[in-house]
Amino acid sequence: MTLLTLICRGPTAALHGADRRDGDEGGKHMARQLNPKARYTPGVIPYKQMGYWEPDYDVKDTDVVAVFRITPQAGVDPEEAAAAVAGESSTATWTVVWTDRLTNCELYRAKAFQVDPVPGNPEQFFAFIAYDLELFEPGSIANLTASIIGNVFGFKAVKALRLEDMRFPVAYLKTFSGPPTGIVVERERLDKFGRPLLGATTKPKLGLSGRNYGRVVYEALRGGLDFVKDDENINSQSFMHWRDRFLYCMEAVNRASAATGEVKGHYLNVTAGTMEQMYERAEFAKELGSVIVMIDLVVGYTAIQSMANWCRRNDMILHLHRAGHGTYTRQKSHGVAFRVIAKWMRMAGVDHIHAGTVVGKLEGDPHMIKGIYDTCREIRTPRNLETGLFFDQDWASLNKVMPVASGGIHAGQMHQLLTYLGDDTVLQFGGGTIGHPRGIAAGAQANRVALEAMVLARNEGRDIWHEGPAILDQAARWCTPLRQALEVWKDITFDYASTDTPDFVVQETVSA
Amino acid sequence: MHITQGQFSFLPALTDEQIKRQVKWALDHEWAVSVEYTDDPHPRNTYWEMHGHPMFDLRDPAGVMEEITACRLAFPSHYIRVMAFDSSEGWETPRMSFIVNRPDHEPGFRVERQEGPGRSLRYTVRSYAVERPEGQRY
Amino acid sequence: MNTAQSHVERRITLEGEGVQRVLERVNRELVGLAPVKARIGQIAALLMVDRARRELGLTTEPPTLHMSFTGNPGTGKTTMALRLAEILHELGYVRSSHVIAVTRDDLVGQYIGHTAPKTKEVIKRAMGGVLFIDEAYYLYRPENERDYGQESIEILLQAMENDRDDLVVIVAGYQDRMDRFFQSNPGLHSRIAHHIEFPDYSAEELLTVGDLLLEEQGYHFTEAGRQAFADYLERRMQQPHFSNARSVRNALDRFRLRQAMRLVEQGGSLGAEELAAIDAREVLASSVFGKASGR
Repeated sequence: MTLLTLICRGPTAALHGADRRDGDEGGKHMARQLNPKARYTPGVIPYKQMGYWEPDYDVKDTDVVAVFRITPQAGVDPEEAAAAVAGESSTATWTVVWTDRLTNCELYRAKAFQVDPVPGNPEQFFAFIAYDLELFEPGSIANLTASIIGNVFGFKAVKALRLEDMRFPVAYLKTFSGPPTGIVVERERLDKFGRPLLGATTKPKLGLSGRNYGRVVYEALRGGLDFVKDDENINSQSFMHWRDRFLYCMEAVNRASAATGEVKGHYLNVTAGTMEQMYERAEFAKELGSVIVMIDLVVGYTAIQSMANWCRRNDMILHLHRAGHGTYTRQKSHGVAFRVIAKWMRMAGVDHIHAGTVVGKLEGDPHMIKGIYDTCREIRTPRNLETGLFFDQDWASLNKVMPVASGGIHAGQMHQLLTYLGDDTVLQFGGGTIGHPRGIAAGAQANRVALEAMVLARNEGRDIWHEGPAILDQAARWCTPLRQALEVWKDITFDYASTDTPDFVVQETVSA
Repeated sequence: MHITQGQFSFLPALTDEQIKRQVKWALDHEWAVSVEYTDDPHPRNTYWEMHGHPMFDLRDPAGVMEEITACRLAFPSHYIRVMAFDSSEGWETPRMSFIVNRPDHEPGFRVERQEGPGRSLRYTVRSYAVERPEGQRY
Repeated sequence: MNTAQSHVERRITLEGEGVQRVLERVNRELVGLAPVKARIGQIAALLMVDRARRELGLTTEPPTLHMSFTGNPGTGKTTMALRLAEILHELGYVRSSHVIAVTRDDLVGQYIGHTAPKTKEVIKRAMGGVLFIDEAYYLYRPENERDYGQESIEILLQAMENDRDDLVVIVAGYQDRMDRFFQSNPGLHSRIAHHIEFPDYSAEELLTVGDLLLEEQGYHFTEAGRQAFADYLERRMQQPHFSNARSVRNALDRFRLRQAMRLVEQGGSLGAEELAAIDAREVLASSVFGKASGR
């Protein structure tokens, strides 16, 4: 009999109060620290002794908790590095200030309470840091991130630093409105149940006139897709003014809806140089009857929250393209893990977020992607080191975010996509639709047939992981566009090693 | 034209055996299955007529199949769909919806445009079928 | 190669391992009931043979499986229905081994137009398994000609005939009342393939039932307790409303209450034996012994 054993030397004790050492009675915070007089003598003292390292700290349910991967400079003690990160992301500066004593500084100090070695990597450590709820303004991602990643990433004492995960108290989550629509209501509005949604990004990304652009949208929707999407850098350039794009796209959406009897949509990208322009574009999209608008992550957290509010007021779905995230999410040693971005975006309030495909052309280890999808879609996410989730998180009834799988996927991978990603996702086949040899509508039809055949087979209890190719072949016998799609893309895979991979692995062991 | 609402409209019409297996999937998830029909399949017509309430606590698809048969008998040229409702936390919404009956001839819809200032348009999708009174459409 | 020869060539083994397991469980769980167990064994054998006959093309008609279980309360009818469903499932005559147990109130409505949907809903829930209707005769109330029970019976009859592949119906109740019920509803009678009578338990069997039930709960009788319980049964069986194993179960519940009270009042330290033993005192305090023993 095989058993799954989690091999983990890591943060087993984090947030499990019962497992942790008890502090000595009385003065337990100060036991390893200087007395108040010495603490506030002008000069420079180690962060550890300034109260930012508290191994006996009892994490409160109301604390915000972060776990950083730290790579200390040579010779820097990991606990001191952790304390420094805690200090620099909360109250500290490089030297002692007497004005601390005018405040209840014990409360405002972040506390590094645990440092664990990273399995298999002697240079790196996981540092767990608790922040009091008092430190954060309600409902502001900008304020949260200014603290947590504001200053600390350039800090000299660490060679590299990565924010791996965060836990938010329910009280704090309740200050955010979350996704304006959510998976459940999106499906009810679109009248689409029981299968992933299908989308495509209009290609080429740049250069099409509004008239030509709308043609792509119409063909793809009429052929069987639910959504077509503007790309991240389609805004308002000389070849296509935004109003033109909106008018032609909505013509395409309505014509396709009449041709199929289905609700259809096009993510109209309202990203612009100023908030005023974004509102203007969104208002026009609403006037034309669009069900959805889109923004890019690069508009910034505050603009995202503003657009979320606008969408909530106007019954619109908000699609977020994660433009730019790869600059700080991809490398394992430095930056912010995408699961943290996903958490922030669920709080800020987007309905769709690009979250990886596993099998496509973009970065994505299956376990890490599962952690991100769970973060978007579950009402509670338990600690699961294997998928990169360090903490139990209750999502405090914030709506669920629909993850979008986009980038280098095609119909021949349908069984893998459905197995990895489940039903509640938008599968976006851009090249995989528009690049079909018989045209865009044929490409869309191939994708929809492949999807429906796979869902049908799965629901019938078939083992789609193994039988998938046979199921597709079977459908391709009566669906020529699918047969063509399977032939054209049959050997396309993007088989590169992922960079963002789990540190804790599941190992199969044989038990007696 | 061929209305493509529902989970399986791009596949050949499901046989009763295939429908039964889909219903089984729903029942195995403890979803309540219902049968609904309409002669107004406009994409925004959410409320098709219920052929009885959703069937709760069923263990076997046979009961649903009986309702489908009865509904087809009563409304042979209507659209009939099977829906599965999930009452569990975080859902409380339909989890499946697929068409099990449709008229032989589907006239479909047309788009009506009302021109506004600045080239803007207000769109209406109108069904050819509903121009006739209820009950005489298909 | 003529076909007759190939018929002779083809041989089949009766697969009955699963059925055997269920029958053994019946033997273990239910004391006595020898004639019932024999009938169930016969039916299982018949169905195994039927299955083999169909496989060899000797018959095509699916057998009628509806049954009636008659007998006094507490004689194991419901338990046997559960096991029978398992046997039918093992043999592939029902798709699931679930039993939906109902009475008149679940089937018959309060106002016009209420009964048909109610009965149909119950039938749909039972489909694929077994519908067990306890005290089925309450469905029929000839004294009230506007009673909705008749409507329910009609719908059941239809389902028993048309949905034979999807549904097995077991009607159950007192022997004499079921007889009268069938007399006035010959259509129902004719659709039932197997009539099984559940006899009352003998005093000896009930004593064994008592031992088994106590053992399940981690108790046992003392020597004197068991003797007193035998006396108790003798008297109780003569009284009205005696319902066999069910009455035994109820009596044991009361004995445990009395034992607990006695131990609490007695105080002091207690060993495992004292905590597990049901003594004559508990039994003799029962009202069947008149006021002789008092509390």
